[in-house]
Amino acid sequence: MAAPERVTVVAAGVVTPIGADLEAFWSALVTGASGISQIERVAVADLRVQRGGEVKKVGRIKDWRGVPDCRATRLLVAAADDLCTQTGFRPLPLDPARVGVVVGTALGGVEEGERALAGESARRLRDALYDGPGDRLARWLGARGPVITVSTACASGATALAMGADLLRRGEADAVVAGGYDVLCRFVLRGFDALRSLTRDEVRPFDRRRTGLLLGEAGALALLRRERDVRGPRLGTLLGYGSASDGFHIAAPEPQGRGLERAITAALADAGVSARDIDLVSAHGTATPLNDRIETAALKRALGARAYQVPVNSIKAGLGHTMGAAAALEAFMCLLAAQRALIPPTLNLEDPDPECDLDYVPGQARPGRPRLMLSTSMGFGGCNGALVLEAA
Amino acid sequence: MTAAPAIRALGLLSGQSPAEAGPAARILPLPRPNRAGDRFRRTTRECLLALAAVDAMLEDGTAGRDAIAGDRTALQYVTAAAYGASNRAFIERRGGVMHFAYTAPAVVSAEVAIEFGITGPYGILIGGAPATLRAIEQSARLLEAGRCDRALVLVVEIFEECADLYARHRRFDHRPLVETAACLWLERGVGDLRFESARGAGAAGDPPGGGERFAAGPLADLREWRDGARTEPLELSGAWRGEHARLRWSTEQSHARGSAA
Repeated sequence: MAAPERVTVVAAGVVTPIGADLEAFWSALVTGASGISQIERVAVADLRVQRGGEVKKVGRIKDWRGVPDCRATRLLVAAADDLCTQTGFRPLPLDPARVGVVVGTALGGVEEGERALAGESARRLRDALYDGPGDRLARWLGARGPVITVSTACASGATALAMGADLLRRGEADAVVAGGYDVLCRFVLRGFDALRSLTRDEVRPFDRRRTGLLLGEAGALALLRRERDVRGPRLGTLLGYGSASDGFHIAAPEPQGRGLERAITAALADAGVSARDIDLVSAHGTATPLNDRIETAALKRALGARAYQVPVNSIKAGLGHTMGAAAALEAFMCLLAAQRALIPPTLNLEDPDPECDLDYVPGQARPGRPRLMLSTSMGFGGCNGALVLEAA
Repeated sequence: MTAAPAIRALGLLSGQSPAEAGPAARILPLPRPNRAGDRFRRTTRECLLALAAVDAMLEDGTAGRDAIAGDRTALQYVTAAAYGASNRAFIERRGGVMHFAYTAPAVVSAEVAIEFGITGPYGILIGGAPATLRAIEQSARLLEAGRCDRALVLVVEIFEECADLYARHRRFDHRPLVETAACLWLERGVGDLRFESARGAGAAGDPPGGGERFAAGPLADLREWRDGARTEPLELSGAWRGEHARLRWSTEQSHARGSAA
């Protein structure tokens, strides 16, 4: 059987609570900067937890003409603007009909639904449907190929990158802009607050004292091309993807992490590599008491002895959990770590949980040049996803 | 081109046809299914309809629950708007703490996975008819690659809870909105499946009966084709947000009700 077409991550663009573009994002990751702050854009006075990873200024765009006043769309467009600035991808350098867009989101444009229900124009409904912001992004880019929105909860960014790679392998597109986004809006803040999933402390992945997550918002997009079509610089290669459903509970992970284990195993098989080849793991690492213990157990079973030999980090302490954007940001972190030979630390990890006994890169960034990276994601509804990435 | 899957079974629950409902009807609703057990006490209507669609599919295929349980079953869920009802309820502060979890589209397929013990590969697409055609094609590829032994394509669209919002939006005032829940069971088959998609291309076919079913349109068309015992090649099409998609399915594949492929 012929080897599957290799898909290159040419470049990435982001807007995050710790940086308005990819370079600022990377600098903040390796210096351990935190983007957690008091939430200012929406009312939070009635909520138990009022902090999160809020983007204070959406990208570097000065002229928003032609882009609707929809924060989800603007996060996507800001990330795309960063991507296009690096790659010269706007105006499109190839046939627009051959450019696809795949975005992942947990919330879509739900904030537009809130506004429509509050009496604002019914036109907001167009963006309130979860595929609205992705459609707007395609229009901003001028892309006229496939436009797809996936919503596998907090694994959405991974699903979107994988689906973007599939479009290229099948020849449905010659270039795909793929990634994820989500907005820190009152809807989701109120929801997680009610579930008591948010911490009033710092976010402490894998720490004995961890008490929960904080939410964040971001847009994160990559330009994907078939490897044979790429000349010049690139970030790396998207080698494999796996998914598996827990089939256990709508809001809690399966206690043994079997779904995540199956997703990792499937991703390794899809990539054609073994656990022994993995050099770095970007964990989902939300810092909820259950997640980190379950994820650690799943990594040990899926990677065997290798789980103890490789760094495993979580970048959510400084960003917040950016939901649909999280897996894409974590994939970009892996590729940047390989490119720059530096592994960002897990912030606020000071008192390791005995049940979380892997090397989580506490403290400071660590020198290292991983070649193959694994990134894991888990979401509401028992959605588990895993990506395998290769250094350029 | 992908190897065409065989249609093992199709369950479809639909609101009245526009002809039956009369010209004034704007929403053609499905009732909330009754399901015994405390677990379903707080479950949303879209989740219950999803479960009912899977039940209908099993009945159509004269199969028991065990036939779809396990990690060799893939599940693809598609909807354009079913989450609107639960999102609205949460925004308007109806429902309790757990209601927030039910606002996620992922929870509809999660309820199906939990109830029927499905733990294989999954996907969730948000969009109209082209997304459903894409989900069928993805399922065919999962089967072709041996990543699963059977693939379910689940679609739910409900509108009633947001009827006033749809009435305010001109995009949705041309045809009645027909609530639909459907689940398609695919297995490996013979023949070819060809998926095509273009933006701004020629018009695709309208949903049957003049109603708008969003993502559920192709499965209603498929049901009509199968129940009509048609012999011509199966071709499903649909449009959404300027994308027109078409799925051509060779007729060599089995569409016999209840027969294992």
